[in-house]
Amino acid sequence: MRALLLATAALAALSTAGLAQTTTYSQVERGRYIAATGNCQGCHTVPGEAPYSGGRPMPTPFGTIHAPNITFAERSGIGRWTKDDFWQAVHRGIGRDGQRLYPAFPYPHFTKMPRADVDAVYDYLAALPRVEKESPPNSLPFPLSWRRLMAGWNLLFFTPGVYQPDPARSPEWNRGAYLVDGPGHCGACHTDKNLVGADRQSRHLQGGELDNWAAPDIRAGRNGGISHWSDAEIVEYLKSGRNAHTAAVSTMAEVISYSTQLMTEADLSAMAVYLRSLDSPARSAASPPAEAVMTAGRDIYADNCSACHKADGTGVPRFFGPLAGSNKVRDPNPTTVIRILLEGARSVPTNARPTPLSMPSYAWKLTDAQIAAVASYVRASWGNAAPEVSESTVRSLRQTLKEAEAH
Amino acid sequence: MADGHWSRRHVLAVSFQATLAAAAAPALARTIRGEMPWTPGQVDAPYPFDGARFLTPDERRCVSAMVERLIPSDARGPGAREAGVIDFIDNQLAGFYGRGERWYMQGPFGPSTPEQGYQFEEPPAGFYRRGIAALDAACRERHGGRVFAALDAATQDAVLAAMEKGAFDLPSGVPAKAFFSLVRENAIEGFFCDPLYGGNRDMVGWRLVGFPGARYDYRPYLNHNGQRITLEPVGLKGGPTWNPR
Repeated sequence: MRALLLATAALAALSTAGLAQTTTYSQVERGRYIAATGNCQGCHTVPGEAPYSGGRPMPTPFGTIHAPNITFAERSGIGRWTKDDFWQAVHRGIGRDGQRLYPAFPYPHFTKMPRADVDAVYDYLAALPRVEKESPPNSLPFPLSWRRLMAGWNLLFFTPGVYQPDPARSPEWNRGAYLVDGPGHCGACHTDKNLVGADRQSRHLQGGELDNWAAPDIRAGRNGGISHWSDAEIVEYLKSGRNAHTAAVSTMAEVISYSTQLMTEADLSAMAVYLRSLDSPARSAASPPAEAVMTAGRDIYADNCSACHKADGTGVPRFFGPLAGSNKVRDPNPTTVIRILLEGARSVPTNARPTPLSMPSYAWKLTDAQIAAVASYVRASWGNAAPEVSESTVRSLRQTLKEAEAH
Repeated sequence: MADGHWSRRHVLAVSFQATLAAAAAPALARTIRGEMPWTPGQVDAPYPFDGARFLTPDERRCVSAMVERLIPSDARGPGAREAGVIDFIDNQLAGFYGRGERWYMQGPFGPSTPEQGYQFEEPPAGFYRRGIAALDAACRERHGGRVFAALDAATQDAVLAAMEKGAFDLPSGVPAKAFFSLVRENAIEGFFCDPLYGGNRDMVGWRLVGFPGARYDYRPYLNHNGQRITLEPVGLKGGPTWNPR
């Protein structure tokens, strides 16, 4: 009897191993690269825990969704999924049990990925250590907790389909468009959302807001947020986390550490080529803040900021972010500027630039009115012409962040 | 052990004690690998004036009188009274300074050199309390029942000068010279500290000496060619020019 049990167990082990045997080293490595282009690790890993073991809370305007465990753990992971199951999820947003996935999982972007690439990611995930770890339940209010609702959402906002190259464009442009709008899912943050959380295609990559961060316009064509960056500077930013104009912080810092810094220069250049082809509507210059605000802002800036960012806002490129011309500072949405003043920020440590620099928090030191004044000042100086920041905007963000931290 | 050999029992006892000592040692140190940890919003902010008091009203009067003679308000400008030095000292005594929390406060106690700093068995708050009581007792005895604060300015000056020289004996073994220098030191701190801590109110101390305050950056003034630069002082929490009004 015992022998029989052992034999069964051995057979079972063999059959799981059978899946892995068909995947070669190069296939797994291909999958690793493609998973990096999609930054899968960023959402599916709680920082400090086993990669891809899930559980990371994703705050959305509709409630908190926890990214699932996508290691091949039998019970809590996707160990029982076939390649077809995985394809259904990535390409159509439908889980193994047939239920609809929430588009916090960016299948509206991932649908552009070809089957071979999705299979490679599957093989890569299958080769990772399996970690049994249940994700906490989602906290979505009814009726959003009813997944079938997503069928209607998909009908309205989701077109499944692998990326079709535009024959009028260069192969490089097509590769860039695929990476940016497909696996890279840049629009998940950088495109404004409608009331039900779908991308507003008319504002594609022209800036969005997510989780109390403003993601700026990242178009590099005429009037685009980064039109003043050269292609080489775009590549440098995605590769090292810094360039002559800025340093990446917060969510973009994660994208760079888990994703773009691992990508080839050729792919990053292709992304730059594509972004360069996208023009934005011209921005109207905002009317400058009142003189009293500018005077206070100038003094606060001189006493607190100028030692690093310099009196003329030019900073020290690649060390202390320049504020003159900064895409973050000039963003019509001031959320990021206010938040960095309140919380401080740290430039991302990358393989290319492993030593991060951090800016301290000013929440203890500056009042809401003072933060509004200094933010308004930097947004209206040295050629910047972004709208004034009001004291009440600062107050409500301070309150929101305090509440978010308490959770 | 007497013959220089370690007995088994002795080794066991010593290693047991060593284990106990290691277990009891507080875990103040930690190892950081890879990148330096960083948390949004985390800051080593100072401990600002919070209004807490340690001294009784009588004790406050005594210390006020002392610091107001040490840094008097005169023709050169405001003194300790206007700067709120007593508020600074009282708040410090009510906080970790008064409790000596950040100092080594174990023995041995006894004669010391000035370089060794504070060497008393009781933390500063307790030392103040004992010093004030002794000073007032000595004044009552020598000046017709009047406490230090009730003396006229000239007599107060004479008492302080004598304390400074060590020529003024206080009862209960309070070292008058040491008490004087502690109050003197704290008075200077209260007069020149950042206004955040309750003293140096309206930056009167800084204005007196022309100190421009906690500014980060002087590069715009490097090429001033010897011209006098007059800058409004700035505290850690700023100054009046920081508020848009």
